[in-house]
Amino acid sequence: MAVRAKTAAAAAQAGQTRRLRFQKLVPYLYIAPALIFIFIFVFYPLARTVQISFYEWNIVRDRQNYVGLDNYARLLADPNFRQIIGQTLVYLLIAVVAVVALPISLAFLTLQLTDKEVDFYQSAMFFPTVIATSVATLVWVWFYLPTRTGLFNTLLQPFGVTQPVQWLTDSFTALPAVALVANWKVMGFHFLLALAGLKAIPRDYLEAAYVDGAHGWSLMRRVILPLFAPTGLFLLVITLIQGLEYVFVPIRVMTLGGPANASNNLMYAIYQEGFQFFRAGYASAMSVVMILLFGGFALLQYRLLDRRVHYDR
Amino acid sequence: MTASWRAVWLSRTILIVVSALVLMPLVYLVGISFKAPQLIFANPILPFTIPPSLENYQAVLRQMDIPRYLLNSVAFAGSVTLGQLALAIPAAFSFAYFNFRFKNLLLGLIIISLMVPFVVTYIPNYLLLARWRLINTLPGLILPMLGISLGFGIFLLRQHFMSFPREVMEAAMIDGANSWDILWRVLMPANLSPVLAVGIYVLINTWNQFIWPLLVGGGNPRSYTLTVAVQIFYTSPEGGDYWGAIMAASVLTSLPTAIIFLLMRRRVLTTFVDGAIKG
Repeated sequence: MAVRAKTAAAAAQAGQTRRLRFQKLVPYLYIAPALIFIFIFVFYPLARTVQISFYEWNIVRDRQNYVGLDNYARLLADPNFRQIIGQTLVYLLIAVVAVVALPISLAFLTLQLTDKEVDFYQSAMFFPTVIATSVATLVWVWFYLPTRTGLFNTLLQPFGVTQPVQWLTDSFTALPAVALVANWKVMGFHFLLALAGLKAIPRDYLEAAYVDGAHGWSLMRRVILPLFAPTGLFLLVITLIQGLEYVFVPIRVMTLGGPANASNNLMYAIYQEGFQFFRAGYASAMSVVMILLFGGFALLQYRLLDRRVHYDR
Repeated sequence: MTASWRAVWLSRTILIVVSALVLMPLVYLVGISFKAPQLIFANPILPFTIPPSLENYQAVLRQMDIPRYLLNSVAFAGSVTLGQLALAIPAAFSFAYFNFRFKNLLLGLIIISLMVPFVVTYIPNYLLLARWRLINTLPGLILPMLGISLGFGIFLLRQHFMSFPREVMEAAMIDGANSWDILWRVLMPANLSPVLAVGIYVLINTWNQFIWPLLVGGGNPRSYTLTVAVQIFYTSPEGGDYWGAIMAASVLTSLPTAIIFLLMRRRVLTTFVDGAIKG
């Protein structure tokens, strides 16, 4: 009798510890499916990219040779690569003016307007964001047609430009032409973000800054700009991180990085090496270099987000 | 405020001009699609001809298998949206509701996953799908997208779930509800709006995807999405100079997301602001 009671108690206790152990697992079970997908399609490929960068690997013929650091050595010696890095910087510089400085300035212009009016501008400028870039780029291809009847060439004729400009195949105009499309596409989105940042600033400060001149300016400088700074920094950081992504599709549709790499950049060159020249090893080495170059920005973005994660309650 | 009337009008003028310039390409996009083919270059500056012509749309429906590509786009964007929600909701709940070891580490990993540039993962993902024989299939398009941008939904929903009053959930627990019930019976009914918002965001972004569907599905018309089909039509010999038809196909592709935006403008705008973590 006593023995049976004892075993029953032990069984009950064992059941309880099992339940407790299961209880401890529950939070992980909710996360597991999501994490599995993220690991298979983000972190495993990331690790694989690092691995492939040590191989000479043609993905079409599926031939692979371990070459150690050769890909990296070739990369650093390649004058094309240096040109591409230079152009990457030009792209980012254009983006900082067009989709950081411009939308912030425009946002500050709305300060004295009514919400309803501002809502109209923000919706109008945001519209391109919901249209597929690949499709929207096609209308720009039509604008840039190198013939006399191309829209931009037609518009330039009254100004004495009678020789049609070869917008997308001229090495001077290809990069700005592609950058214009990319920045047109995201400017309104960044305008929206800048407005959201401004809204977080108490209305009284803003009105006071506008009502009286000299005092207003110092209020602007000492109170409003510091309050707006996190938004500005955030826009700057996402532009530096994603600027090359913005311009990716316009390049793919309009110039393929040409002519002679004139509109190429680091991100598009990786894609080109991988899926046009099928040199997976070389492309992967470029990917690793890109991660190292942009990792700092990403870390900064992470810090900004982290603040939101912990203090945003 | 009378002193700054001039400033107000200057600001207003600048904003109107910029808005008009930004919208201009979309005006041409729609306008050219309704121009009679022989008049498209007659006066390129005019975006419209009168009367409008439906010829381009008829040509597109004749030359492209629009219903199939539309179905593919719906299947692609719809599956990715529903799949991401199914994965993100429980994960977001767990991060918002429980305390457990490695919580911050795991959340950090999820945020980092959003910052990996897509070109970095495309080659290995392509090789993976090739090994699974999923190239030129819809599952091949869909599966990687369930992981690549999933972190966004988790992060955003977590923020909303955390602002839900904890006392309500604890009261349900005292009544004998387990965490599964709390998620689906208590938390979800109260958070349908943010869930819908995340769904809209993922739907718009997936619908507009181009590079990935081109790489994985561009080899066979059976797996073209609309964005891919339009591009392949543009580069094909019969599409080449047929600008009216290209624009008509582009308008058809853009219509669904444009309609979502026009109908749910405010919700889309706030979601994109909240979603700025991904950009």
